[in-house]
Amino acid sequence: MNLLALKNKNRQEVAELLSVKERNLLAERFVSLGLPSKKSEEYRYFDVEKLLDKEYKTLNYVPKTPKVSEKIEIVDGVVVAAPQGMRVYYESCQQIDMIHFDPIYYLGHLLSPQTIKIELDGDVEVEIEHKYTQSDTLINYRIVLYNQANRHATVYENFISEDIKDTLVLYGYDMHIAQDSTLRVVKMQNMQNNHYAMIASHKVNVAKNANAILKSFDLGGDHALQLLKVELAERAHVDAGHLLYLNTNSKRGTVSQIVHVGEHSTSKQEAKNILDGEARGIFDALIRVEHSAKFTKAEQNSKAILLHDKAYMASKPQLEIYIDELEASHGATTGQLDGKQLFYLQSRGISYVEARKMLVIAFANTLIEEVKDTRQQERIKATFEKVFYKNA
Amino acid sequence: MSSIMKIENLQAKIGDKQILKGLNLELEPGKVHAIMGPNGAGKSTLSKALVGHYDIEVLGGDILYKGKSIVEMEAEERALEGIFLSFQHPVEIPGVNNAYFLRTALNAKRKHEGKEELNAAEFLRLMRDHLEMLGMKSDMISRSLNEGFSGGEKKRNEILQMLILEPEVIILDEIDSGLDIDALRAVSEGINKMKDGKRTFLVITHYSRILDYIEPDYIHVLKDGRIIKTAGPELVPYLEEHGYDGIEEE
Repeated sequence: MNLLALKNKNRQEVAELLSVKERNLLAERFVSLGLPSKKSEEYRYFDVEKLLDKEYKTLNYVPKTPKVSEKIEIVDGVVVAAPQGMRVYYESCQQIDMIHFDPIYYLGHLLSPQTIKIELDGDVEVEIEHKYTQSDTLINYRIVLYNQANRHATVYENFISEDIKDTLVLYGYDMHIAQDSTLRVVKMQNMQNNHYAMIASHKVNVAKNANAILKSFDLGGDHALQLLKVELAERAHVDAGHLLYLNTNSKRGTVSQIVHVGEHSTSKQEAKNILDGEARGIFDALIRVEHSAKFTKAEQNSKAILLHDKAYMASKPQLEIYIDELEASHGATTGQLDGKQLFYLQSRGISYVEARKMLVIAFANTLIEEVKDTRQQERIKATFEKVFYKNA
Repeated sequence: MSSIMKIENLQAKIGDKQILKGLNLELEPGKVHAIMGPNGAGKSTLSKALVGHYDIEVLGGDILYKGKSIVEMEAEERALEGIFLSFQHPVEIPGVNNAYFLRTALNAKRKHEGKEELNAAEFLRLMRDHLEMLGMKSDMISRSLNEGFSGGEKKRNEILQMLILEPEVIILDEIDSGLDIDALRAVSEGINKMKDGKRTFLVITHYSRILDYIEPDYIHVLKDGRIIKTAGPELVPYLEEHGYDGIEEE
C-alpha cells in the first residue's frame, strides 16, 4: 500500500482504496482534512510525505488469545499477552472524536475498524509494551482505554523493535478518563537506526473532576510525531510533560491541542527539548479556551537547548481564547547551555565536557523526576543517560 | 617574601572596558590578604581574572601561581591546581544534585592528585561534620545546587565546597554580602577552620565588617584598576573613618 494514493481522493475513492464499508462519516472527515503534506499546518515541520510515499506491506490483524503476562504486549498491532484478569479485548470504537484536527486520527480509525480495548479496573498499574518485528510494513492499530471513576490508574508505555527497517507505525489512543479519577500515562520511546517511523494520534477525554497526567520521554533519533488532543470537562485537569532528546538528523516532537470546555478546568503543559546533531524538534501546541470554560487556568511552556549549530527547534506555543474570565500564560525559549552555570561547575575542577553533560542531564531530570515511581524514574534516567552519553 | 601567587602588571578588560590597569600584588603563603576598594575599582574583575572567567580578556601582564603562569589555563585546571573562588552570587543549577556535584568535584580533584576516588558512603561521612559546623540542614545536600537557597544558605554552601575541596588559595568575593549575624558567624567559623598557616586567603570586600571575624595580615587598597596601597590591619580603622578618597598611591 502507498498512502500517497489517498491524496486528493473523494470519499468513495478513499473507501474503495482502503476497502472500508459503512464508515462514511470518518471517510468524509479524512477527506475534508486531506492527506497530510508539508503544507498542512500540523505537519509543517515533519517530512510526512516522505513517509507516506512508499510502498508498504500490509498485515492481517488476527486477534489471538493473549497469554498471561505481567504486562500488555502488543506485537505488530496485535495483543499477544496481558495480565491475568485484565479486560483487554477487540471492539469497534464507539466514541470517535468527529472534530479532531488530525487527518491521521481518522485514517487510523479507517484502517482499524476493530480497536484494542483496555479497561483499567481499580487503582491499577500496568505496562504496555509495543513491539515491531516487520520491515517495510505499515503497522496500524488503535487502542481505546477506559479507567474507573474515583480510581487512580497508571500506564507505563514502552516501545521496542527487532532489527527491522523502514516500517511506518500509525497508532493512537482514545482515552476516556472517568469522573473523579486520575490516569497517569508515562511513555518512553527510544528510537535509533531507522527501524521504524511513527505517527501517533491521540484523543484524551478528561471527565469532570478528573486528572490526566501525560508524560512522554522521546529519545534518540529517527522520525516520529505525536499528535494529541485533550478535552477538559468541568474542573478537569491535565498535566502534560514532554522530554525530547534528539541526535543525528532526526525529526520528532509533539503537536497538541488542549481544549478547555468545562468551567474551572486547568492545564499545565511543559516541553523540554535537547537537540544535538542536525536534529529537528517540534513543539506545536495550542491551548483553546471555549466560551463555556470560564475560570480556566492554563499554563504552557517550552524550553529548548541546542547543542549543535545545525540543530533546530520549531516551537510554536499558541493560545486561542474566547472568554475573559481566565488565567493563561505561555512561552518558549531556545538557547544554548547557560555560560554562568557551566563556569560555576568548571570553577570547581569539573571538566568542560563533564560540566556540559551534567547540565544537560539536569535539564532533563527536572521532568524525569516528576515520574513518581522510583523504579520507572531510574529506568528513564538510565536510558536517557545511555543515549546521551553515547552521543555526547 | 616568597609568594604563592604573584600578579604582575595585570591589565584586563570586560567587553570594551578596561578595568584592571597594571595591577601588582603578591600573596604570601598562609596569610590573609584583604582587598578593599570603592565600587567599580575592579575588585570582582580581579577575582574573575584569577580563576579564568570567560568574561575577562587579559590584555597584558601575568599571574604566576607557584611560579608558573596561569593566564592561559582553563578554569577547571586552575581549580584542580588549588585555586578556589567563593562567588559573590553563586548560580542556581536546577536538576544538579548538590551532593552529586560536590562528589564529582572532589573526585576530579582526587584523580588529579593521583588519589583514589571516594564512593558515596565515604563522601557522605566526610560531609557530615562540615554540615554540622556550618549549621546546614542535611537535606540541603540532597537538593538541587543552590536552587531556592536563601542568600545565607548559598554562602554556607560555598564554604562547604571550600572545606571539601581544600584549596590552597581561597578567594572570597564579598562573602559577607547578604548575610545576617548568625550566618556571618557560621561562614567565618568555616573560613577560620581553614586557616592553618598554609592556605592563603584573598578576602575581597567593600566593608570592614567581615574583617572583625577573619583577621587579615595585609590590607590592599584597590582603586581604578590598581593596588594603590598595602599596609597592615591598622589601615582598616583609618579607611572606616576617612574612606578611600584620602588614600594616595604609594
